[in-house]
Amino acid sequence: MDFLETDEQAMLRAAVAAVAGKYGHPYYLEKARSGGKTTELWDELGGAGYLGVSVPEAYGGGGMGITELGIVAEELAAAGCPLLLLVVSPAICATVITAFGTEAQRLRWLPRFATGELTMAFAITEPDAGSNSHNLSLTARKDGDVYRLSGTKTFISGCDEAEAALVVTRTGVDPDTGRGQLSLFVVDLDSPRLDKTVIPIEIVAPEKQFTLFFDDVEVPGDRLLGTEGDGLRQVFLGLNPERIISAAMAAGLGRYALAKAAAYAKDREVWGTPIGRHQGISHPLAKAKIDCELARLMYQKAAWAHDTGQDPFTTGEAANMAKFAAADAALAALDQAIQTHGGNGLATDYGLATLWGAARLMRTAPVSREMILNFVAQHSLGLPKSY
Amino acid sequence: MNVVVCVKQIPDPAAPQALDPQTHNLVREGKLILDDSDSYGVEMALQLAEQAGGGEVTIVSMAPNGETSGLRTALAMGAAKAILISDEALRGSDALSTAKVLAKAIERVSPDLVLAATESTDGYTGTTPVQVAELLGLPSITFAKKVSIAGGKVTVERQTEAGYDEVECPLPAVVTVTAGVVEPRYPSFKGIMAAKSKPVDQLTVADLGLEGQVGSAGARQAITDVADADTRQSGEIVVDEGDAHERVVQFLEQLKLV
Repeated sequence: MDFLETDEQAMLRAAVAAVAGKYGHPYYLEKARSGGKTTELWDELGGAGYLGVSVPEAYGGGGMGITELGIVAEELAAAGCPLLLLVVSPAICATVITAFGTEAQRLRWLPRFATGELTMAFAITEPDAGSNSHNLSLTARKDGDVYRLSGTKTFISGCDEAEAALVVTRTGVDPDTGRGQLSLFVVDLDSPRLDKTVIPIEIVAPEKQFTLFFDDVEVPGDRLLGTEGDGLRQVFLGLNPERIISAAMAAGLGRYALAKAAAYAKDREVWGTPIGRHQGISHPLAKAKIDCELARLMYQKAAWAHDTGQDPFTTGEAANMAKFAAADAALAALDQAIQTHGGNGLATDYGLATLWGAARLMRTAPVSREMILNFVAQHSLGLPKSY
Repeated sequence: MNVVVCVKQIPDPAAPQALDPQTHNLVREGKLILDDSDSYGVEMALQLAEQAGGGEVTIVSMAPNGETSGLRTALAMGAAKAILISDEALRGSDALSTAKVLAKAIERVSPDLVLAATESTDGYTGTTPVQVAELLGLPSITFAKKVSIAGGKVTVERQTEAGYDEVECPLPAVVTVTAGVVEPRYPSFKGIMAAKSKPVDQLTVADLGLEGQVGSAGARQAITDVADADTRQSGEIVVDEGDAHERVVQFLEQLKLV
């Protein structure tokens, strides 16, 4: 067992931290408040190859894995710039296309994932299916050389900035189980008869959430990813990186909050002594630090399991646990940082309360903590299935 | 256009530092990083080599314990290779010893130009680059805020208190660059991955033929004592009794500001 980062990983971490630090939370906030996008930061990260670290070298990427993408996500969040599309575009979409795309599809999309030039949204959630992906109702119907997609997707991030979306559809029903047979399509977001409606959300973030209405949207046959009906297996491979990169981002947010809290508690003096000397301040921060570090370890383990091709249960269990632990740890750290700052904790200039929505989101998405508890109860502990 | 950049690998300035109680030297046992002030020289060298349409950038550094972390950063930025001089016998080196070592190593490359920072962030003597120039018998220009190369000459805008001087001299030459000379690039991920396989030539004092002339054996200076800096005295509070403006003017006159 080796817990040391390689020189390359350490250098990547330092480089991303330097780039992200140049922008920082004020930049992120300004974009979020003004309705702008973090294009300059995204482009600079992409140009240096940091967004494509996990894309295979053969397609112009860095040839490394989710471990390295986790470093990128964590350092961005630690600088107060938790870029949500990192979770979706390189983590889910590029991973799934790498694993299941035809050679032509890989050549078509991966080189632009490698440079960050292509951002792709991920559309799985539906209003009536929630976390039950077997119950998806958006259908794709084959019509000659094309497919026609009809149905609704909701809470889809970044549809105003992404070029396309990887859409999970139902193409049939398994005659034995009665469950939907799923298929994945890469759909251009400017397709005719595809309507995108913003969902007003109380999260301060440049990325917006959308409901997508597919009204018989025509999609060329070559946009079907891999094999028709293989979608469930394909999606599951992408969901581990999604959870791992979410956890990395949460761990970074925790670091961001604790760094601010520690600096403030060292500096702020009331009754002639820094408030950080009081255990009422220091102990909750120390506990938050412990929880954040444990969550980091778990996401790093999960990333290792994914990158080294461990069995699906080992990877899935670690990825779920990491996401659960990191979301809780980040939110607790942020809450304690706000408490440490007194009234300043809620002041815009201190850059803490502005991240509340983003941190709180992580307990709900990309998979709710309840679904993770179900998974762990059932699969790790062997308890009866709850649903 | 072959350029050598002298870089120093220093303890992370963000981490707590300590002085050795016996030698009063900075403890440099842990992991070292590329001195941030050297990243400007590396960037300048890369740009000059690119503009010249060819040639290599070589990093030269002297560091304890075979330390290469900082060199890898420079290699990740795009330098082609590095020379590291690391030897127990170099312990206790003063600036002149360091200059002798660097000069001998630079001779092996015969570069068209040698770049260095104006001074290091941990030692701040600011003397090593000109000593290197003298030992190599090369002209030197310090405090460059702009560097250009044309027709076998280097032209430098040399920062002065009043503004800048334009100075030119024939190549090869030694130029020290300020932190504003160029914006250092971030190493790309491809650069980071490539750095691992770039050559780092590790040399000893014997390889350079400098036995007995460098390190504590060759040192001409020693740190005899280290004292804490005086704590800053509290300022003078002027209470306005109708004459405060005169007192303020007096104070400014004292500082020769008016």
